[in-house]
Amino acid sequence: MTQPMTQSMPQPMPQPAPASALAVARNRAALMEELRRLLPGMADSRKTLPFGLAALDSCLPEGGLPCGALHEVVPAPYGIPAAFGFIAAILGRISSPPPPGPRLRAPEWGRVFLVLPAYGFREYGRLHGHGLKNLGLDPARLVLVETAHRRDTLWAIEEALRSGAPAAIAAMIDKLDLKTSQRLHLAATDCGLPLFLLRPAQNLESSAAATRWRVGTAEAARDRFGLVARPRWHLQLERARNGRPGEWVVEYDHVAHRFSLAAALADPARARGANEKNEKADRNAHCA
Amino acid sequence: MADARAKAGFLQVRAVDAAADDAALRRLALWATRYTPTASQWTEENGADGFFLDIEGAAHLFGGEERLLADLSSRLEKNFGLPARLAVADTPGAAWALARFHPAPLKILPSGREAEALAPLPIEALRLTPETCTTLRRLGFKSVGALLEQPRAPFAARFSAKLLRRLDQALGHLDEPLVPIVPPPVYHSLRYLLEPIVTQEAVVALSSRLMGTLAHVLTRDGVGARTLKLSLYRVDGEVKTLDIALTLPTRNAVHVARMIELKLDAAAATDDAGFGFEAIGLAVTRAEPMPARQTELASTGDGDRTECCAALIDALRQRLGPASLRRLEPVESHIPERAEVPVPITSETLAGPAPERKTEQTRPLLLLPHAEPTEVTALVPDGPPRRFCWRGVTYEVTGAQGPERIGAEWWRMPPPYPPPLAGEGGGPTRDYYLVEDSGGRRFWLFREGLYGRETAAARWFVHGLFA
Repeated sequence: MTQPMTQSMPQPMPQPAPASALAVARNRAALMEELRRLLPGMADSRKTLPFGLAALDSCLPEGGLPCGALHEVVPAPYGIPAAFGFIAAILGRISSPPPPGPRLRAPEWGRVFLVLPAYGFREYGRLHGHGLKNLGLDPARLVLVETAHRRDTLWAIEEALRSGAPAAIAAMIDKLDLKTSQRLHLAATDCGLPLFLLRPAQNLESSAAATRWRVGTAEAARDRFGLVARPRWHLQLERARNGRPGEWVVEYDHVAHRFSLAAALADPARARGANEKNEKADRNAHCA
Repeated sequence: MADARAKAGFLQVRAVDAAADDAALRRLALWATRYTPTASQWTEENGADGFFLDIEGAAHLFGGEERLLADLSSRLEKNFGLPARLAVADTPGAAWALARFHPAPLKILPSGREAEALAPLPIEALRLTPETCTTLRRLGFKSVGALLEQPRAPFAARFSAKLLRRLDQALGHLDEPLVPIVPPPVYHSLRYLLEPIVTQEAVVALSSRLMGTLAHVLTRDGVGARTLKLSLYRVDGEVKTLDIALTLPTRNAVHVARMIELKLDAAAATDDAGFGFEAIGLAVTRAEPMPARQTELASTGDGDRTECCAALIDALRQRLGPASLRRLEPVESHIPERAEVPVPITSETLAGPAPERKTEQTRPLLLLPHAEPTEVTALVPDGPPRRFCWRGVTYEVTGAQGPERIGAEWWRMPPPYPPPLAGEGGGPTRDYYLVEDSGGRRFWLFREGLYGRETAAARWFVHGLFA
């Protein structure tokens, strides 16, 4: 159906499209496909970072977090450590070297830059490298940038994006107007780098971010001795451009750098059974 | 002074301000580095009222020694209103003597004729202490020539070694090292401008060109610049210097120009350009070997990445300050707050291997700067917490994991080793618990002091937050 359409692309539009809505949609899809093929820059920005979880990835355009885009992470009440942990987990997936397991298609493993203002964040303490390592992010791959003003923070983020040197950039910022967020999003798109912004603000302004996550706490996954095995987070995908919102409880395995859906069971014995089933399924998937 | 005032009514009296004089002389010597990088300010024993310039290899840039002297003299006169006495000689001692005691204000001594030129000068021309000069005069030695005719041995016996040393230094038998006010750069490039420049763009463009000229020399020697110094010579004699430190050695003029631009932005150095800068110098103050790298074939991209990262780190550092870019480095310690320290990023930390982290214990993502005291309810005094109150909120504990016992590091304390009781002297032992509340928030709590052995009433603290 779309074949004649794409072939006729290089010439000017030969005739007006058929009037039915379905045909219009198809034409549009074909047109977009052709445009993407023709624009090499867009192919880069289409790189994605899949979570490796069908439930999450199906809600995101192209089956993963768009690589060259701005992503907002908003903590639920009391959720700053959890939101930070979620970002650290994603950064850990991006910056970990590829060999030890099937990884997401990261742009290239490398360093990640974390821009932290010196003025916010203080009441929650400082980042602890051993804790980062417990979340699968090697502190040696992390460059901490400390800024004194919001202007410096924005400048540092944009400078890091434009240089194209890091594998990903994360930052914490308290206020961000629409125009600035558009600017940052454009910079991220131009360079094909993911930018994660932690937004501790209560009432958020509208922004140009591709996705907005709200991260809350959830009871951790425990092993059969009752010890905390994997952290769990309550994720809400509030906004996703070209995607669908959703809500999940996920857990993260820092050794394998893998997200999985938490078995929503309160009973430890049944939770254990579910976990084992999960593990078995994971193992099978891995072998396959 | 009253008599002097009576005689001359216009007389003004000021107290001597040695420090201000010294600072002014230093500024003047700095200005003079536009002629040669080695300028050495005179110390107290030289009279503290002038400076040496080592113009060897620099004079031809100004069309010879005569032209250089004429230029220096006219600029001193015009810019600062200073009538100067200048002399050029092979040795600092001879130049000093000629500048002080030769009748002509500008004097150039041909090579190897020090003895001849110094002979008619008074004995003070040897930079001796006033007492030595008085003694020599009393003995009848009024000129340097009279001293030269005599055998040396009696002088060595009667006077301090300094007399003969000064004589030898003036005649060039003994070296006199000069202490430059700024350490001489390894590579240096300087440009004089016909028209003074004022704008930042012009300064950046020019320094980029200077770096371009330096790059050839750096390539030839197989090194790259790690630290640079940009000197801006203002028309009125003020000199501004900017130090630029780089993470990795570089020869890239574009990169250096960008760094200079950022630095100028941050320092606002061109804000008070006055009537403009008449000369601009760029010096490499620290050069490091920069091995040639193979490109293209089998490129993994990691080397390029490191270089890109270094360039980014440089750029951020110029604006945000040297200590704002850091990396977390582990420290060998069991005490959580001591187990890690943020260190500024250098080339070694960037390119070198990452330090090994030994601990595989459960550690929180965020560590509070100071452990915060909290009210805890526990079933038994040395049991896990059941409920705690922190920052005005009460949390019901649904699961506690622990304890992980961390004792004080007795090897850091004064002897005797080991202390008879655990925790003696260096703070009590801590029992750490990972607790989770009903909402899924995870905390790191510790109880200070072993119940019954170290303390009767244990205190609890919140020390960290888990993701």
